[in-house]
Amino acid sequence: MTGYLLEIGQALLALLLAPGLTGFIRWVKARLQGRRGAPPWQPYYDLRKLFGKDVVVSKNASWLFRFAPYMIFASTLAVTMIVPLVAAPLPFDAVGDLLAVVYLLLLGTFFLALAGLDPGTPFGGMGASREMTIAAIAEPTIALAIFGLAVGAGSTNLGRIVAQTLANPGGVINPGHLLGFSALFIVMLAETGRMPVDNPSTHLELTMIHEAMILEYSGRYLALIEWAAALKLLVFFSLLSNLFLPWGVATALTPGALGVAVIALALKLAALAVTVAVLETRLAKLRLFRVPELLAVSFVLALLSVTSSFLLR
Amino acid sequence: MNDHDTLFAQLSTLSASLVLLFGIALLWRRSLGAYIKAFRWQSLVLSLAFVMIGYFGHDPELYIIAAALLALKVFIIPWYLTRLQMRVGTEREVQPYVNIATSLIVAGLLVMLAYAITRPLVMVSKLPTRGAIPLAVGLIFVGLFVIVSRRKALTQIVGFLVLENGIALLAALCTYGIPLIVELGVFLDVLMGFLVMQIIVYHISSTFESIDVEQLSQLKH
Amino acid sequence: MTLLILMVTAYVAGAVGALLFGEGAAGRGVASFGAAVGSGAGLALGLTAIAPGESGQMLILAPMRLLPLTGMMLRLDGLSAFFLIIVGLIGLAVALYGFSYSTAYEGRYSLRMLGAMLNVLLLSLSMQVMADNALTFLIVWEAMSLSAYWLVLTENDKGETVRAAVWYIAMTHAGFAALVAMFLLLSGGDLTASFAGMRENAAALSPAMRNVIFLLALFGFSTKAGVVPLHVWLPMAHPVAPSHVSALMSGVVIKMGIYGLLRVALDLLGSGPVWWGGIVLGAGAVSAVLGVLYALMEHDLKRLLAYHSVENIGIILIGIGSGMIFQSYGLMALASLGFIGGLYHTVNHAAFKALLFLGAGSVLHATHTSNMEKMGGLIKRMPVTAFCFLIGSAAISALPPLNGFASEWIIFQSLLGGFNIPKPEVAVMMPIAVGMLALTSGLAAACFVKAFGITFLAIPRSGEAGKASEAPLSMRAAMVLLALACVALGLTPFIVVPALGQVIAGLGHLSDIPVRFTLGLSLDSPNGFGRMSPTLIGAGLLLLLALVPMVMLLLRVNWKVRVGESWGCGRLGQTPRMEYTATAFAEPLRRVFAELYRPTRELTIDFHPESKYFVQSIEYRSEITPWFEKYLYEPCLWLVRLLATVVRRLQSGSLNAYLVYVTIALVILLLTARI
Repeated sequence: MTGYLLEIGQALLALLLAPGLTGFIRWVKARLQGRRGAPPWQPYYDLRKLFGKDVVVSKNASWLFRFAPYMIFASTLAVTMIVPLVAAPLPFDAVGDLLAVVYLLLLGTFFLALAGLDPGTPFGGMGASREMTIAAIAEPTIALAIFGLAVGAGSTNLGRIVAQTLANPGGVINPGHLLGFSALFIVMLAETGRMPVDNPSTHLELTMIHEAMILEYSGRYLALIEWAAALKLLVFFSLLSNLFLPWGVATALTPGALGVAVIALALKLAALAVTVAVLETRLAKLRLFRVPELLAVSFVLALLSVTSSFLLR
Repeated sequence: MNDHDTLFAQLSTLSASLVLLFGIALLWRRSLGAYIKAFRWQSLVLSLAFVMIGYFGHDPELYIIAAALLALKVFIIPWYLTRLQMRVGTEREVQPYVNIATSLIVAGLLVMLAYAITRPLVMVSKLPTRGAIPLAVGLIFVGLFVIVSRRKALTQIVGFLVLENGIALLAALCTYGIPLIVELGVFLDVLMGFLVMQIIVYHISSTFESIDVEQLSQLKH
Repeated sequence: MTLLILMVTAYVAGAVGALLFGEGAAGRGVASFGAAVGSGAGLALGLTAIAPGESGQMLILAPMRLLPLTGMMLRLDGLSAFFLIIVGLIGLAVALYGFSYSTAYEGRYSLRMLGAMLNVLLLSLSMQVMADNALTFLIVWEAMSLSAYWLVLTENDKGETVRAAVWYIAMTHAGFAALVAMFLLLSGGDLTASFAGMRENAAALSPAMRNVIFLLALFGFSTKAGVVPLHVWLPMAHPVAPSHVSALMSGVVIKMGIYGLLRVALDLLGSGPVWWGGIVLGAGAVSAVLGVLYALMEHDLKRLLAYHSVENIGIILIGIGSGMIFQSYGLMALASLGFIGGLYHTVNHAAFKALLFLGAGSVLHATHTSNMEKMGGLIKRMPVTAFCFLIGSAAISALPPLNGFASEWIIFQSLLGGFNIPKPEVAVMMPIAVGMLALTSGLAAACFVKAFGITFLAIPRSGEAGKASEAPLSMRAAMVLLALACVALGLTPFIVVPALGQVIAGLGHLSDIPVRFTLGLSLDSPNGFGRMSPTLIGAGLLLLLALVPMVMLLLRVNWKVRVGESWGCGRLGQTPRMEYTATAFAEPLRRVFAELYRPTRELTIDFHPESKYFVQSIEYRSEITPWFEKYLYEPCLWLVRLLATVVRRLQSGSLNAYLVYVTIALVILLLTARI
């Protein structure tokens, strides 16, 4: 019973933290750029406002356009119940492993791209085409990073990976581990639409990807999609932090351990958020056709990570 | 294996991977400036790796080599390359023979190949540094690949230097440094080679007004 | 036994009836009814055979003589039953669909032959998997190839169709020749020997001979399955056939290549050296990636689907290849996992590919074109077709909780087990295969966003698409049946996987180690390497999909919806010409993989005669280089033509010369026979 409460609690925690994480990155970025910036809790206000607004739907759109936001939100939320945020192994550990996480996220992307095509505007198609291109090319890197992690831990299930890494702390400065981390980090930037792949703060330029797809959305639909995007970022951040640096994750379900876990999670997320903010301040956006080269870098890193953990056994 | 050796093993693999990563970073970049920068960082990590190997392997001679490396490859050669670049103009590696994404994947496969061929050596070796040997061999391959796949004479020179870094790393990992005198001799060779190449580049540049080695095929006629 | 007789009778009656009743509705009805009853009986036969009886064993029909004196023998074991289920399931849907679909052919093409040949094809497919000696196998194989050839040729007044049919028949006969040679070697010359006899014979053969047999089988079956580089006929022949036939060909006929490969390599030969599996794995990985890459560049809906068949055959072979590699190393649990993954994907691909082809057929039926650039907005006019096509698209993209995901997950798990292989040179293939499989599934998702989005979403791009209407009842029913199959296969791996375990347990040396998979809701790979439950994922998704709007209602969010114009940068009035096209959608990937495609492009701009600032028309043409046709088949054809001109000299036209040939042949024959 406590296990299921934990699952619900974790999903709620993720829902609660996600907009704040996005807001925090924006705030740090603004500070780094010498602006005052909106407060980190601004996205919460935005979501409330969006939920209160009327929805305007294009007359060309079909039922799919109205269904997609729920699908995107539900699939991302489902992932937060599998990924260990504060405790491992979760009761739902056997429901899905890392591969299931990846494909659930792909499910969201699939519907998002379809929704981008539905109103028939050129921007939507452009975004959908680019998003699917990047998602497809990022896929091998993710799979190889999973391979590396799974071979190291002897399982593709997240709970087992966390437990294994906790048991062998020395493996963390293993080059395979570090290379896998950097590979997944690059993929994270691409999948969540951060610089240098996509500019999250743009709303109308020819280079946009994510924003181009959701240009036709408004009101509660937009709120759901924005929230899901924030959740996706949170999921990737917690995968990066808890799979590669699992310290703080509660292995026993005591209130004390869970409290420590929440604090550790917040610290790790904040550290990653600052890193991303610094990167976004320092880096210029890549040309679209340089993105595959960036992803090729991440692929090579993942390949080396697998090779070193695989052939040196 | 005791703690000392475990730490040594992990640090050596770590530093070797960093050195290799800078070699791969080279493949991703286009401008010569970025090439030189990546090479400079690589050499810096390499000299740190020498210090580390010297410390754990109890071989003080390596400190001297590390210092020489630092002076030569982190300061003198990059500085010289930058000057050369200014003199012959800043041409970008716009269209290498193998495009960038493919080069990266080829590099990955080359490193896998290095793992495969050094495996017998690694298996019999008792050295704590053995885990890093494939990475050094991989770096040698990557250096060769840079030379083969790039068009501009200057980028090829950087490739040659990366290759040389790989050899130095391999030597340090396998033997904790070949005798000092040999090592220094190799350094001098590199320096001489570098100077010769620099003169040739200068000539290519003044003859063809470009450092694209494809132009050399015109000499046939 | 009764089911078997019912099945055969129904097919035969359907074929004969179609010929008798001819072109009208009666002929269509009889042909479809015969095919439907036959496939239904086949499906039931397969299911009863595969379902464990009281003894926990599968029902295996003993070898039986089909007709006296012909030497044809049939036998039903687990593998046969499994493929019989595939034939039955897809056959049922196709028969149902064909009833309405073939109306479009009335008066234009021969419905008589269409109906009869469909029944013959289904009959030969069902017999194919039950054949118990080489003679039966080869005769039925040929019957299958020829009836499929007739079906491809239905629209025989189109040059494209004839060309495709010629390619198909030429390739399939090249494969057939290899198969005849293979069976002759395997059976020691006696084609009527039963498979059981051949199995014993194979064990005694020298390793070199076994290698030759394997390579011949691989070649022969690969031409049928459409493995790269033997795939070139497939994207030509499948699209030009009537759509329900395309569904049958892509869903089932090419699977006979998989069946044959398993039957020979796994059952008759037992097991082989590591490189056998290595070749299969490599061919599979290459087929998968190239198949999907070429599919992305296609804008003809049916050709796109045909290229995806190449891709999915590749995925199946990745599973089988990894199984064979593990088998050679004695890692039996992992080997079973690979084979199960491959077989699971076989039935899944049959279901979703048939569904997609039927969907494409409905679109073709409604819009009279299969060019995606002329479609759009069909989701509003053809809601059922669109929904079924969406299910198929999600399934083929391996999205949870549908069936493609379950099987690809198993194949991934088997590849991930690769680190157990003692030899690093071999083990290294596994991460590379993982990368290629992942790339394939990512690109497939991109391709189906394109296929579904451009075809069904947004506003119609042509008049026909604007006037399209939903498909007739029987066509919709067939699609819904297959869509349900996709969902059911995806959600019930806990039934499918143990059944497949039973199927392969009798083959090769896998029989020694019965692999047990947990019968709970989760799929467990061996040693607990991975656990996943598509069932629970599906339930969870459904629950969340219901919960989220409910919570939103409870929190009283604004529920108002207004309908307005799309936003077009301030410009009002959106026209179809502003939409993204299929070409544009695939353009980034074309640029990324330019090294492979080597696209050529031509841009012609006509200016207004008065002023250069006004453009009258722009023509843009872009093609990709067909590598295999250009560099593999053209030289082959050139060689054949060269040989033909040499041989032509024999044709002098003089009767005496021909008599001399006959005499020489006779003498040689007598001389060799004497020895």
